[in-house]
Amino acid sequence: MKIERYDLIVIGAGPAGLSAAIEAAKQGMKPIVFDENAKPGGQLFKQIHKFFGSKEHKAKIRGFRIGEELLQEAEQYGVKVVLNATVIGLYPEKEITVKIGEEVKHYKGDSILVATGASENMVTFKGWTLPGVIGAGAAQTMMNLHHIKAGDRVLMLGSGNVGLVVSFQLMQAGCEVVALVDAAPRVGGYGVHAAKVARLGVPFYLSHTIVEAEGEDHVTGVTIGEVGPDWNIIPGSEKHFDVDTICLAVGLSPMSQLLKQAGVEMKDTPGGYVPVCDDFGATSVPGIFAAGDVSGIEEASSAMIEGRLAGARIAEYMGYMTEEKRLLRAEELEAALSSLRQGMFAPENRGKLVEKTEEGIPVSMNLLQKGYIAEDEIERYPGVTHTVGVHPVMECTQNIPCNPCQDACSKGCISIGENITSLPVVVAEAKCVGCGMCVASCSGQAIFLVDEESEPGYGTVTLPYEFLPLPKEGDKGVALGRDGQPVCEAEVVGVRSAKAFDHTNLLTIKVPSDMTMKARFFKRETA
Amino acid sequence: MKMTADVIIIGGGINGCATAYYLAKKGVHDVIVLEASDSIGHGGSSRNGGGVRQSGRDVRELPYAMYAVQNMWPHLSEELGVDVEYYQRGNLRLGKTEAHLQKLEKLASGARALGLDMNVVDGKTVKEICPHLSEDIIGASWCPTDGHANPMLTTLAYYKRAVELGVRFITGAPVTAIQKVRGKARKVQVKSGEVFEAETIILAAGYESRYIARTVGIDVPMTTFFEECLVTEMQPHMFDIMLGTADADFYGHQSKHGSFVFGSDSGLEEATDMSLGELKTNSLTASAGCRAIMGYIPKLADAKVVRTWGGWIDMCFDGVPVIDTVDEVPGLILACGFTGHGFGTAPAVGLMLAQMVVGEKTVVDISALSYDRFRSLK
Amino acid sequence: MLDVQEKLKEIGPYVPGADDDMLICRCEEVTKGEIRQAVHAGMFTIEEIRRYLRTGMGLCQGQTCGKLVKGIVAKELGVRPNEVEPAVSRAPMRPIEMRILAEDGGERE
Repeated sequence: MKIERYDLIVIGAGPAGLSAAIEAAKQGMKPIVFDENAKPGGQLFKQIHKFFGSKEHKAKIRGFRIGEELLQEAEQYGVKVVLNATVIGLYPEKEITVKIGEEVKHYKGDSILVATGASENMVTFKGWTLPGVIGAGAAQTMMNLHHIKAGDRVLMLGSGNVGLVVSFQLMQAGCEVVALVDAAPRVGGYGVHAAKVARLGVPFYLSHTIVEAEGEDHVTGVTIGEVGPDWNIIPGSEKHFDVDTICLAVGLSPMSQLLKQAGVEMKDTPGGYVPVCDDFGATSVPGIFAAGDVSGIEEASSAMIEGRLAGARIAEYMGYMTEEKRLLRAEELEAALSSLRQGMFAPENRGKLVEKTEEGIPVSMNLLQKGYIAEDEIERYPGVTHTVGVHPVMECTQNIPCNPCQDACSKGCISIGENITSLPVVVAEAKCVGCGMCVASCSGQAIFLVDEESEPGYGTVTLPYEFLPLPKEGDKGVALGRDGQPVCEAEVVGVRSAKAFDHTNLLTIKVPSDMTMKARFFKRETA
Repeated sequence: MKMTADVIIIGGGINGCATAYYLAKKGVHDVIVLEASDSIGHGGSSRNGGGVRQSGRDVRELPYAMYAVQNMWPHLSEELGVDVEYYQRGNLRLGKTEAHLQKLEKLASGARALGLDMNVVDGKTVKEICPHLSEDIIGASWCPTDGHANPMLTTLAYYKRAVELGVRFITGAPVTAIQKVRGKARKVQVKSGEVFEAETIILAAGYESRYIARTVGIDVPMTTFFEECLVTEMQPHMFDIMLGTADADFYGHQSKHGSFVFGSDSGLEEATDMSLGELKTNSLTASAGCRAIMGYIPKLADAKVVRTWGGWIDMCFDGVPVIDTVDEVPGLILACGFTGHGFGTAPAVGLMLAQMVVGEKTVVDISALSYDRFRSLK
Repeated sequence: MLDVQEKLKEIGPYVPGADDDMLICRCEEVTKGEIRQAVHAGMFTIEEIRRYLRTGMGLCQGQTCGKLVKGIVAKELGVRPNEVEPAVSRAPMRPIEMRILAEDGGERE
């Protein structure tokens, strides 16, 4: 049988797969990419939030836009992407079988990159199989790709970035998130993501887990309880919520089955069953490579760089790139990758309690335990200063690899410096003009413009706002504190939307002067 | 770990497990089963189509195949305390051409001569027996007393009962050699270097038996053959019979669970170049199997295949196993070369091996399965 | 080498648990209690558990329950989950209709 042959077959058109194919195509290869989904981009197209990182990591760009850019680049370099194409087997001689339409096609690759991503983990509790218990990723797909509301009242289990980001998006979609629950004693994801959710009034229950999902033929309620030191529920700690949906954000497992079928050497790690790979994705079987979540769960930004590293390595393996040239490229990419893997959430810090920032400032324990920074903690960070007139207040308190705010301010008010994980510092001598670019640029929505006394007894707070309907000037309501509780009455005195803000609207509210360091969200009065 | 026993069984497949169970049942509890892999029944015992048939058997095998069907399979689930999903609803071997029917008639008349109820039926009768089959089928051989069971469950049921009766199973213990002590088989060496000892050693390790038997100077002429099966998702109940074809292009049945299990091939298997340790399915076989199956059971066109798997068959040169004591190596009993149809006979084989150990006369005469039956052909 | 009898002694008898009736493998409707009891009957590997109970043999091929089953087996055996070898991967990676699988360019009779 004549089998169609490619010098590179990529399985999975997500961030890693597409990046690898582009990188290889840039060197003159003619890769083909198969993906079982109807749309390329993997998980990128449901990521409606802005990404972290620096310019080279496409920071402050929303995930789906990064996906669009990646697709354009793929097209530009002639990468062939075949969709609705399910790879069902990976056989010796690097042969794959692919279900395309109503038939199965055989292809061979001189090299194969497996970039099949990951699937959501499940946890068990009484009633976990009831309809209404869904993965957080599934909820995200429903909302952001298919425009279906995942539920009306939702409980989220898992305080990692997925749980936090999806909770926020659920609220954006009009769902009510009644609680965010995690068995761990501390919030697992970025503090800024947690703070975004907490200021909407979502209560955090750390050291809690689900005891039972209730309901006959679908979820009608849920009981959570506090986890004791022996991992059992402390009697009497149970709390009940009426919900119709329970979202599980309890981690991902690599979908590495194809690699295992191919006889690649595998290892079982706490992060899942992954192929044994070198730094460039080469597995134990010559010519078979892996990149992205399938080789270990990380952020999409890392997956894209990993993909590029593997793509370059494959180009070298196939003789399209000299080793020298490839090493130079790898050096550049690895620098970008290692900057993403720095900070408090670096792989080596996983599961550890980091008590002090790189600057030696104690980390907010309230943020880790309740999702928001307490009032007696906030003043110690270098982004929080007081001055006359409008000025940025940056409630960015953990060392994460992200620096768009520094470039956003044309007046030089914000400094992060060489080290991308440093906390943003307010530059005292620079003069803030209140343009709001920093507010819109912050992927963590942690920057506010504060004027502590814009008129006698009153000040203004300008905050990022990504909800609909957008309040109008003159709207009255209440200002919510970092914990989502009302702190005072507030009036909208300004609403700004600009292309440069990329759908992050800036809402300026007027509050009493003594509330300007407390008011962090606005809730319209409901008639 | 106690390294001695009355009996050591090399091979934790269905024959080894069944033998261990029947030995324990006879009061011989001091038995060690050495299994090379980490899982019991990891070879052909879990990798076969589940046929419990008498039809198509060689005259040398038929007596104990019939013994098992008549005396053991019907109450095996009850005896072992695990539902082994045995169905005795007959076996149809389907034909689409006159040539097929001639072949089937020859098979059936041969079986009848040996006392088995088997005949060729016309297309209409085939439809009555199984209404789900293709209109192209013009006849079939029919053996109403054949059936099928779940090989994975049967193997593990024997294992479970043997464990309960005190048999010691050691997994991850590939045997490298048998050694004689004072003229008698006695020591069994495993790969990690440890040596086990027993009065009687039963070698039931599939094709690997060949390498092990050679260490005491015995060679059983065998070859290997890699055979594959495909499994469908759960389907509504259609039939309980066992199916095969005159052309042998597929065989299989619907399991109690509802999934269909079909064995098939691509025709290229003779040229398989894969080591015994590998169990990789071929990229062509399942598709070839689907074409063959749909040619006989068109209704399954939309059934989804969820899984494929394959296993090694220890093909004895003359198509039937060696089940025998070895004169030159007293204490050694061979049970290998089952040639891909050892599942249905395993209860009888296990029973007879246990009988051989304790010196009883076997339930049927198996002297034709001797280890020294092989002669030059020219 | 693993001595099944010694391991069974080490892990002790099966003790019923409060959540034994919890479904673990949804496709094949296997409960936690069934898995735990199978371990105490000598089914120590994922392969044996699969063959005995059908866990991970349904439409999702263990994508959902694989990790859960591993966790239960490991706990019952008193080992870490990564010491329990996961099930083998078998083609097809997604369920596929026979009529489609049949269309692979091979010969028809």
